[in-house]
Amino acid sequence: MNISPQVPGSVEGQIDYPTSHSSIILGRQDYLSVVMRLIGMELYKLRRRRMSKVIGSIAIALALLPFLLVAFGTYVTANQPAQDFMPTCQSQPVSGNQPQVGQPNCPTLSPAQAAALRQASVQATSSPLRLPDSLNIAVQFALIAGTILVIILVGTVAGGEYSTGTIRLLFIRGPTRTQYLLGKLGASFAIIFVGLLLMAILGVLAGQLFNPLSGFAQSSSFWSIGWFGHMLLYLLIAMFNWFMFAAMAIFFATLGRSTVAGVVGGITWFFVEPILGSLLALVGFFNHGSLGDFLKAIPDYFIMNNFNALLNDQSQSLFGSSTIPTVSSIHAIIVLLVYFALFIGLAWWINQRRDVTN
Amino acid sequence: MLNENIETAHQSDCIISTSRLTKAFGKLVAVNDLHLEVMRGDVFGFLGPNGSGKTTTIRMLLGLIRPTAGRVVMFGMDNTYQLPAILQRVGAIVETPVFYPYLSGSDNLFAVAAASGMRSGKANRRRVEEVLELVELRAQAKMAYRKYSLGMKQRLGIASALLTDPELVMLDEPTNGLDPSGMFEIRLLIHRLAALGKTIFISSHLLNEVQQVCNKVAILQKGNLIRQGNVNELLRGNEQVLVRLNSTEETQSALNMLRAARERGADWISDIRIEADRYGKPALRVDAPKARSAEINALLASNNLFASELHPYEGSLEEVYLQLTTPSTNGGRRGMAELAAGAYVAPVGTAPNAPFASDGASDRKAGQP
Repeated sequence: MNISPQVPGSVEGQIDYPTSHSSIILGRQDYLSVVMRLIGMELYKLRRRRMSKVIGSIAIALALLPFLLVAFGTYVTANQPAQDFMPTCQSQPVSGNQPQVGQPNCPTLSPAQAAALRQASVQATSSPLRLPDSLNIAVQFALIAGTILVIILVGTVAGGEYSTGTIRLLFIRGPTRTQYLLGKLGASFAIIFVGLLLMAILGVLAGQLFNPLSGFAQSSSFWSIGWFGHMLLYLLIAMFNWFMFAAMAIFFATLGRSTVAGVVGGITWFFVEPILGSLLALVGFFNHGSLGDFLKAIPDYFIMNNFNALLNDQSQSLFGSSTIPTVSSIHAIIVLLVYFALFIGLAWWINQRRDVTN
Repeated sequence: MLNENIETAHQSDCIISTSRLTKAFGKLVAVNDLHLEVMRGDVFGFLGPNGSGKTTTIRMLLGLIRPTAGRVVMFGMDNTYQLPAILQRVGAIVETPVFYPYLSGSDNLFAVAAASGMRSGKANRRRVEEVLELVELRAQAKMAYRKYSLGMKQRLGIASALLTDPELVMLDEPTNGLDPSGMFEIRLLIHRLAALGKTIFISSHLLNEVQQVCNKVAILQKGNLIRQGNVNELLRGNEQVLVRLNSTEETQSALNMLRAARERGADWISDIRIEADRYGKPALRVDAPKARSAEINALLASNNLFASELHPYEGSLEEVYLQLTTPSTNGGRRGMAELAAGAYVAPVGTAPNAPFASDGASDRKAGQP
């Protein structure tokens, strides 16, 4: 489709747009199409970049790692002699004050009972290889290690333009600065969407692949439409978690005009927030009264605590988790939306007003 | 009614118009009250010493920085409100062009194409190949940009500026890093683009290059526009005729005769003086249009004074530029003309100035008409 560029409404004295060179194939010029093309451009650049390939490989390795460890643990457990599962008082020679076999605190176990104990241990150890626990492990691991990768990737996508000076090249090609920011955000979302799904699916598949080592079949008793809905919500919250840090990396990269600012800003926040939260809780614990209550309440407005609250909420339905969130879902959603709006809004404002002088 | 039509026609042909354009960085006024006018089809040279505000002006035209005051109108549109529509019609390089180091030359152009409103992907392969061919980078199209030499980077910048076949091409120091043949190619390219009706706005330190390609120039100094106009008109004011006669006496007689002629009404002679060349021999320098050379010769001959040499000299942009931007230390215009003319001519009674005499750059232009 060869569509001529749309020139904004004619103004007095405006000069007509001339016919373009025949070998130039223009795309659609409406706002959304321009943004979509910019997203495509960002993804094209990422695809051609060695760094994104390295990060992708690390992400795949990280997705597989916990399942390899669990599979190894399962294999070791399953291959232990049954007598290893007998009480110590029975399996080892009697010495000193140890309980005697047959006494109430040292029940006598038959080899079959010991084998059953081993089976129970194998089942418990291998549980993360099977759904729904495998999904929990895959997503939780992605949220810890993957977030750092997202910060590095998005910080580079946003800050790299300033670091290399290509921001000049981009800002004189036609699209508005807002469209560029939307292009970066769109590309980040695409990376996050694909990245998290990939890590979750790879993890679940790896679990299924290693599960035969345990000898336990995958149960489908957990499955229901409701469970599926909760799973989608759980994945969306996890994606939003990554997207929040991506927005943070974009904000810091824009503010500091560099990749380093984006990456360091995001990673610092990621590590400092839990430490600060613990410190505030500790100080609040020792300070009774309104000051203590105030200090203890501050972490309720931290990004990760609110994400944990939302994830825990879904975990109860998905994995039968008993962890009770400290804040309500509504509170968490409002706090997170405020943070998100703040990061994006500030990045937009800086981007709009900034003189590009480098 | 007629005035209105003229005004409308003027507006429709005016590609760049700035009024009272000012940019201050804190207390430093980088560009002050700039009024520029570039018409359709112009090859416009934008000159000035380092730090005079050229790049700042280009950045304001392209919307990279906001003016502190004033207005930019391009293609009849205000760039504060209609920048995207303006930029669709402009191809530009600002300072040293920078691209993504991990992409090849052609991949960089594909990325630029997508950002420029062209269809994404390989749809514009032919156009990318065309512009790479134009700047002679086709053989290095697949090479990573980080491996490019400075000249290749510069040429890729020009290729990206031409990618969308823009009406206005803005080139900030386009020959930076290019070897003489590269400069020649760029000059040819500019001529070719001008012949296609493109408007070209070119900022450069290479005045000889600018003189060869531009029809109009503006000269900035310390953020102020000190001269704007047609190159020929600017140079016309600097035309001179250098006359050598056989002896000092004849030279003195010729001086007296030409002064008398001026008093009698030959007002096209603005100044006449005797100066010594590098060998200490006197020569007559007449500030007059070079087209009057034959008349000068005839006047002398009618008084039995016969020139052994007669050089019509049109002056150079370099002279005009240096006169306007350098504090006068050697008689201003006169000194610069001497510098550009190569054959140093010192005022009579002063010793020949050795540094000028040994200046290779001056020798290069010696004897140039």
